[in-house]
Amino acid sequence: MNLKPGFALIFLLGLVACGWGFLEHDSWITIELQHSLGSTSKSFSFRGNVTIPSLNSGLANVAQPPLTDEELEQLKTLARQNEFYRLKATVVYSNGAKSNFITSNKACRLLQAQLRDVLWISLDPSGFVTGITASQDTPTGTIECEQEDINQLDETQFSTDVLIRHAELAPVPDTASFIQKVEREREARERGEVRDNRGFFAKYWMYIVPVVLLVFISGATNQEGAK
Amino acid sequence: MLEKKFGAGPWFAVLLMVGACSALYEDQIKKFDWRAENVGKLQQSVVDLNHFQPRILLSTEEGVVASVNVKTGELVWRQVLEQKPRGAIKLLQVSGFSDESSDTAAAPIGSNLGFDMLTVQGHAPALVRGWNSNLGAIEWEWSTMPLNTERAQEALWFYSHSVLYHVVPTWRSHLEVTAYFASSGHSTGSSSKVIASWITAESCLLSGSYYVCVDGKQLISIDLASKSGQVIRTALESQPFGKLTALAGLNGVVIANGKLISVNKDQSVCNSLQSSSYAVGSFNYRKIVVYADLASNNLKINAMYLDNCSPVVELEQNVPFPEHFGTPQLNSFDCMHRKNGDGKGCLFLFSTSAESIVAVQQGRIRWSREESLANVIDSLFVDLPLADSEGTLESEMKGKAGDFTSFDRDIASAFLRRITTQAVQIRSLFLHVIGLGPPPTATQRAGLVRDSFGLHKMLVLLTQAGKIFGVDNISGKHHWQLYLPNVNGFDNAENMRLIVQRSAKHFPLQPLCTILAKDADNGYGVLYRFNPITGLASEGGLLHLDYKIKQLSLLKETEKDFVRGVLLLDASNEVHVYPPHATPLADGLYLYTADVKTAELSGYFVKYAGGKLSSTQIWNARLGGHNSEQQIIGVAAKNPIEHVHSQGRVLGDRSVLYKYINPNLVAFVTQAPDATHKSLLNLYLVDVVSGSVIFTMTHRKVRAPLSIVHSENWLAYSYFNEKVRRTEITTIELYEGKTQANSSVWSSLQAPPMPLVERQSYIIPTLVEVLRETITERGITNKHVLIGTASGSIVEMPWHLLDPRRPIASTTQGREEGAIPYIPELPLPTESHINYNQTVARLRNIYTAPSGLESTCLVVATGLDLFVTRVAPSKTFDLLKEDFDYILISIVLVALTSGSLIVKHLASRKLLKQAWK
Repeated sequence: MNLKPGFALIFLLGLVACGWGFLEHDSWITIELQHSLGSTSKSFSFRGNVTIPSLNSGLANVAQPPLTDEELEQLKTLARQNEFYRLKATVVYSNGAKSNFITSNKACRLLQAQLRDVLWISLDPSGFVTGITASQDTPTGTIECEQEDINQLDETQFSTDVLIRHAELAPVPDTASFIQKVEREREARERGEVRDNRGFFAKYWMYIVPVVLLVFISGATNQEGAK
Repeated sequence: MLEKKFGAGPWFAVLLMVGACSALYEDQIKKFDWRAENVGKLQQSVVDLNHFQPRILLSTEEGVVASVNVKTGELVWRQVLEQKPRGAIKLLQVSGFSDESSDTAAAPIGSNLGFDMLTVQGHAPALVRGWNSNLGAIEWEWSTMPLNTERAQEALWFYSHSVLYHVVPTWRSHLEVTAYFASSGHSTGSSSKVIASWITAESCLLSGSYYVCVDGKQLISIDLASKSGQVIRTALESQPFGKLTALAGLNGVVIANGKLISVNKDQSVCNSLQSSSYAVGSFNYRKIVVYADLASNNLKINAMYLDNCSPVVELEQNVPFPEHFGTPQLNSFDCMHRKNGDGKGCLFLFSTSAESIVAVQQGRIRWSREESLANVIDSLFVDLPLADSEGTLESEMKGKAGDFTSFDRDIASAFLRRITTQAVQIRSLFLHVIGLGPPPTATQRAGLVRDSFGLHKMLVLLTQAGKIFGVDNISGKHHWQLYLPNVNGFDNAENMRLIVQRSAKHFPLQPLCTILAKDADNGYGVLYRFNPITGLASEGGLLHLDYKIKQLSLLKETEKDFVRGVLLLDASNEVHVYPPHATPLADGLYLYTADVKTAELSGYFVKYAGGKLSSTQIWNARLGGHNSEQQIIGVAAKNPIEHVHSQGRVLGDRSVLYKYINPNLVAFVTQAPDATHKSLLNLYLVDVVSGSVIFTMTHRKVRAPLSIVHSENWLAYSYFNEKVRRTEITTIELYEGKTQANSSVWSSLQAPPMPLVERQSYIIPTLVEVLRETITERGITNKHVLIGTASGSIVEMPWHLLDPRRPIASTTQGREEGAIPYIPELPLPTESHINYNQTVARLRNIYTAPSGLESTCLVVATGLDLFVTRVAPSKTFDLLKEDFDYILISIVLVALTSGSLIVKHLASRKLLKQAWK
């Protein structure tokens, strides 16, 4: 009995949400990040939280506790084996709806980048998340990790930039400006004042070239005659 | 005047030049192209041998009415009617039908109406057409709109005594019968309701004017043409398994469990008969029933007189029936009256499970039509094998396949081998000359040897019915055919697949193709491996897997036998490799799956460790929106054999804009209804290795039909704009920018995150059915987009015209770059229709393949018809013109050489003379 109004509320909220989408009245989302540090294990451990108060502005608050020594060791092992570092992101929308995303990158790359990564969040036209990708924007290093790379790690905390990719509106055939252009050209032609901005030679080359040619030919024949 | 010429002249000149590229001269018609016309799976047919012009009239599942030549099986005329469901043919009624007892004539012969054939199509509205069956012309037409369109879907029609009856069943309640005068469409009176509470969709059918239903162990039937509407009950020996079928030509006779049962007390049948298919006709002016059965590849045809149930010995025959036709079903037959009654003048028409139409006469197959070709779902151009002499040369160059140790041979052994091969060649040449050489192989005799330009290929076509054809792409001859019974396309509306596992490059080894399909019974995967040149099964042929196939991918060639393994992802996300010895090559491979309904994508990484394959999910993406209301309507990846020759585009200021060439980029298009914008169409560009959604674009008030093509760094897709009611094409080009991140290796995991996206939309003044890009061997030739239109023409559109960087204002920069100024509407000049007047009916898909020549691309367009041609997007720059004057150039050469020699001689003589002076 008690559950029913709750369900109805969620249902109504859902209706509202899918009718208008989130972007039309800017909305917030939170993302819980979990990562998997074992190469084969299916379990994910907590990494941090990202809150985006406004999807339109794209500013994000990232809260990530530093990694423990044990976790760092696991990460290094992953890197040594050239395994994937897998990240699970649970997106919570303002209406309470949740969806899960998985993204992966080579653990080695994460170490090379000193635990700096960029979280790309792609949105669909109504503001729902379509995909989350964690990538590094460091210059291209070697694919395989060497011991040196692993030893060089001195960060223990992730530093994450959050970037949002919004959907864009597709172009429509631009008939208006084309018609305007044609109109303008026609009017200009009627008034006979189409300015030709090209240089002298560009404008009159077809008259100059034959003349020059004639001069050359006549010059050549003259020379022969003189001989 | 001068100003005007400068304003637009050069651009029109460019346009004209671009347009003229693909034009064909009149004498080139049918020189590189051919078309095969089909009608589709046979539905109803009438063989009429006693007409002044013997013919076969038929209707098909594809909504086609045609007349076929009795002797050759060629089409006399064909009318492609409306598409399904609007054009689905419900009834074909022909007059002059040899069945005299019941009046089945659409109109009496010689009446002034001038029609002798009648068709009923569709349900809402139902179209009734009268035809002149000699010419294939419509004489008249009327239509009727049912009150309840949903119920009318199940409507049935029958014809009796110039009256057309429309029967609309309401399941478990009643039948509504309306009668119309066939030729005018006027109702004969009010429609009658027949109360029949026992009718259900599965158990009922119409046989002549009788509506017959199965009810346990009895048949309940009503004669709808009679006024009384009396219910007739007929007891059965046993409950029929499977559906009842009606026997055309006999009023009120049905076939249950392979036996004839009459519910009409005026119509007696031979109850003892047991067969899989029957047909009724007349022989020596007596009514007979013919039945045919297949037993161990032998088709047995027998007949019985209906009046006394005695066998017709003249018609008994045994016909060897090739396996590739599938199971035959006798559709109709007719016998010539004038012949002396020995049964030689009878023609039996069969439709088969492989969708062939087979005509049998005098104990042999007279002709056959391969109508499964009306539904081609995949096609491949396979290189032909080398001639023997070239083959040995080839193997000398590479070393024998499989014995790689000899590859690092020393000079002496290489020399020895060269001498021996040449000795062998000389011997074989000598033997050939004196006529003792080895006989040419079957493929060589058939002329299936690779030509010097690689234009002659084997076109392998896979059809919906499970029949596979090997067609010569030059002559159109069917070299071989195969039939896989009991296979289907996959879930997710995916068709069966045809892949090449080994190409013809590895000479002593034969090429290998594989078909991947789903077993129709248990849904598990099926592999069929065959040689695409001979059409024979190889490596064991059919292989039944014990799992369902969800995704497949090709591995790279193994070193041992040059087979490209198939990587299969099954329903429980396990990975398998076929053949198993290629398994180690699957290590480090990425796979992705897309669910059409929920629009969810997942990416997997395949690892091979310790002799075992495993897959891990590494990414997912949700394109479905909040409630997964979005559904994927298009997925476009790049052609894996594509080469991109030019890495960038030179701009007006001589700097280079580098292309974003990501081989793992796949475009997904989703569509959903929307409250405010009616319908939304979203385009997503996803890197299927890293799972990154690179670009998202949305169209408002736009809907399917969608066609999409994705190649190099560009994408073009067409859709219908609901707001302005026209078809538009949007094109996208992706660029990395002025610098290139990594010019040698592409890695999706370290890719530049945001490419520059250029986009533009164009209006196209036609309905687009399919888009396809041309492809050539090295990718140097310009790319053109082939646009298949709903009217059946194929237009070759240069990319210059679709270029999203066409500048709106004509600037000097754009001019320097060679871009044509933006014009919203794309031109469709007639000279760029590559199939000129060879319309491809119901054009559905276009496939392209490179030829051996860089300039030339091979094209096959499929639909109801099949059209094969070749295109040269940048003209045939690497080929001499056909009318090249060899004689003139040889004469000039000879004259010049001899002239120079003579002059040299004269000059030396003159010098000598001068020296003596």
